[in-house]
Amino acid sequence: MSELKETLKAQIIEQLNLEDLTVADIADDAPLFGEGLGLDSIDALEFIVLLEQNYGIKIADPSEGKEIFQSVDSLAAYIEKNQ
Amino acid sequence: MKILVSCKISDQGVYLNGEIQQKYAKETDNWKKDIYSKLELDYPKFYKMDALAKMAFIGFELMESVCSFEHFEDNDVSLLFANRNSSYDTDLRFIESYTEKGSPGPSLFVYTLPNILTGELAIRKKWFGENIFFIQENFDAEFFIDQINFYFRKGSKACLCGWVDSANDKEECFLFVVENTEGEITPEELTKYYKQ
Repeated sequence: MSELKETLKAQIIEQLNLEDLTVADIADDAPLFGEGLGLDSIDALEFIVLLEQNYGIKIADPSEGKEIFQSVDSLAAYIEKNQ
Repeated sequence: MKILVSCKISDQGVYLNGEIQQKYAKETDNWKKDIYSKLELDYPKFYKMDALAKMAFIGFELMESVCSFEHFEDNDVSLLFANRNSSYDTDLRFIESYTEKGSPGPSLFVYTLPNILTGELAIRKKWFGENIFFIQENFDAEFFIDQINFYFRKGSKACLCGWVDSANDKEECFLFVVENTEGEITPEELTKYYKQ
């Protein structure tokens, strides 16, 4: 699981073009939206693309996104459960 | 009109009101993040910005570190910006996202207009005055002064102006704030600030 989280952080940095950030700057449980990384609805689209391209996971119900994209912890848990 | 404060960031370094700032020397390629850290800012949205918006953000924060704008109301300040290469660097990265990486990146797409940087500054300061972004061959002091006078005639009390450009690994950022007061600025004076 921890390896998946590190990979996810690197993918988030690349997909969202957060080039000034490093993996170490993102805490597992830090909120990705609002506070924390300060992401917004545009970035939610990037997460949907990231999950589909890298893990073959399609989010059928967009309303689930809020919970799934809460943190790296929640993203990793969702991937583990749905892969 | 009077120039309240100016900031120039170029390959030579960071200048505030014409004086080089050793504290903010560009020591690494990551200089924008370095200055952001030195200013002890807490604005996570910074990390999402493209190079143009980051430069304008840093330049503005540097000016605000030595000059208060608190006396201006939300609608008092107009924003007037220009550059030569529009959003060229980000345009290339956006093209790369769908030609080489498989899908167009929404977070890149939003920065494929240079005037996004004026929006970023307006959001940061909650300034709701007029804002505009011109594409020009070179910094044109006479043009800026004409436009500033136009805004002042319309009632602006101040104008945040900037020439912010980034293309082919060459970055340039010149910001200044002009207050609507007695007196004039000549194109020669303004050009001197730009060339500092």
